Amino acid sequence: MIDVEQIRKSFNGTRALDGFTLHVGAGELFGLVGPNGAGKTTLMKTLSTLLPIDSGTAQIGGLSVTAQAREVKRLIGYLPDQPGVYQDMSVREFLEFFADAFQLTGPRNRAAVERALERSGLAERSRDAVEQLSFGMKQRLVLAKTLLHDPKVLLLDEPATGLDPIARIELRAQLKELQAEGITILISSHILSDLEDICTQIALIGEGRNARDTEGHSVIQLRAPQARVRIYEIELLGDSVPAVNILKSVAGARLLESGVGRLLVEITGADEQVVALLRALVLGGADVLRFEHRALDLEARYRLAFQGRRP
Amino acid sequence: MNPMIRKELRQRMRERRGWLLPSLYLVVLGAVVTFAYFVTTADRGRSNIQGSTVGVALFLTLAYSQLALLLLLVPIFSAGSITIEKEQRTLAGLLTSLLTSAQIWWGKFVSSLLFVLLLLVTSLPVLSMAFAFGGIGPWEIFSATVTTVLILGCMSAIGLYCSSAFQRSVHATAVSYATVIAITVVTTIVFFVRISIYESAHHLTTTRGWYDIPLNIRAPMYVNPFFFLTASFAPPKQLYPAWITCAGVFIALGALAVALTLRNLRRRGDL
Repeated sequence: MIDVEQIRKSFNGTRALDGFTLHVGAGELFGLVGPNGAGKTTLMKTLSTLLPIDSGTAQIGGLSVTAQAREVKRLIGYLPDQPGVYQDMSVREFLEFFADAFQLTGPRNRAAVERALERSGLAERSRDAVEQLSFGMKQRLVLAKTLLHDPKVLLLDEPATGLDPIARIELRAQLKELQAEGITILISSHILSDLEDICTQIALIGEGRNARDTEGHSVIQLRAPQARVRIYEIELLGDSVPAVNILKSVAGARLLESGVGRLLVEITGADEQVVALLRALVLGGADVLRFEHRALDLEARYRLAFQGRRP
Repeated sequence: MNPMIRKELRQRMRERRGWLLPSLYLVVLGAVVTFAYFVTTADRGRSNIQGSTVGVALFLTLAYSQLALLLLLVPIFSAGSITIEKEQRTLAGLLTSLLTSAQIWWGKFVSSLLFVLLLLVTSLPVLSMAFAFGGIGPWEIFSATVTTVLILGCMSAIGLYCSSAFQRSVHATAVSYATVIAITVVTTIVFFVRISIYESAHHLTTTRGWYDIPLNIRAPMYVNPFFFLTASFAPPKQLYPAWITCAGVFIALGALAVALTLRNLRRRGDL
């Protein structure tokens, strides 16, 4: 549904996107994570037709976001990182204006507004001025506005920023519902636990390019088994330096982190490779207290992928 | 109806300035006309004074002071029009809707111009005072009004261009005012400095006709709104070339501003 191929975009000589590639299937709830300045917002603006690209291709539903911008706009709903509202309008007027802006006419217009009011939980406050709403309510209103024209693809740029825990839970539930309705969602966020909860896959972006985690994945499958690269946490009695030296001689083993009496090791290959590492450690004289496979959560993978890369 | 126009008008009329400015405008205009009336009649003492003289004096005072006031007000309505969407971060929502850049521009333009036209219409009762004294015909009122609308339309378009080019309303408004000063004050100063240099160089002392002045010296005045308004007081058969030239210049300036504004809106890089 979303196909981005080798996309590049510069601002005054600074590369915001530098050959980023992304493929999101229909109906997926796809996350996008990366440090500040990684290019997430630029990618979202490009996909939402707001920014032209320098090179590469970007398509939504098979339509070019540059050459067929108007058709793409019918397909997408875009929620920017800092969405604005017209404070002096009432909730209903705000939705009516955008329903008009999306060329919804007659009964379709009224139905869309009523549905948006219901969806946002703001039906009771439809006559209130937008400025009287709380931040969370405004965010719900903007999301409801984004959904007015029944988009097939939602582009959400850090939608949970500034929301309280309850509002975040509600947002996650709403996004799951929308995915269940068949809407494809691309969401960028710094709140990794939220993404881990709702996303099917997560793409890593850094310095405008596809970033990779320690296992070499640029896209993390959250609902599917990973490839044959595993992480093991080793606890040692005493100094860990001898064990680090032993590690270097074992094929397929790579040290990710080391601390006093603790190592984090990546092993590429079959189970025999894991056994070989343990054997080498024991025979080399390392006092191994614990040798445990560790399924890394998204936060740990993110930390390992972007460690030392913060701008 | 273009949804932008409806939205803009609704928002404008809800602002405090929606009623405050027309009120202040009428008070100032009324004061100016009253002052002009007393100045015109005071010089003549107790002698008989022609009603038409008073009528013409009031009309000219009204026409020029109205133009001056509206030129001061136009940037307030137009220069903040697009920057406010940037400041409140609603421009992205507009540009990702099915509204075209032209529709967005048109909505902004119509609403800012309509508000200024509202001021123009509210001044009609004051204008009717001048009409009552005589000396002024429908043609003068018509041509002065059309000219004022043309000037205001052009200045609104320039204000909108500034609004599309800057991120902050304060900057866009400042540059809009600088443009107003440039085309009114600066062009007048340039003209008078150059004409005095020309006359002293050619040892000319007698008053000469407008078209005896070389075109390169006259040229700055064709972008001067007050000269444009003055040209509109000519009889219909004498509108060419001065009024027509001014109209052409203002329409061209306005069209250029529209084209640049649409280009800025389509670039969308500075949301």
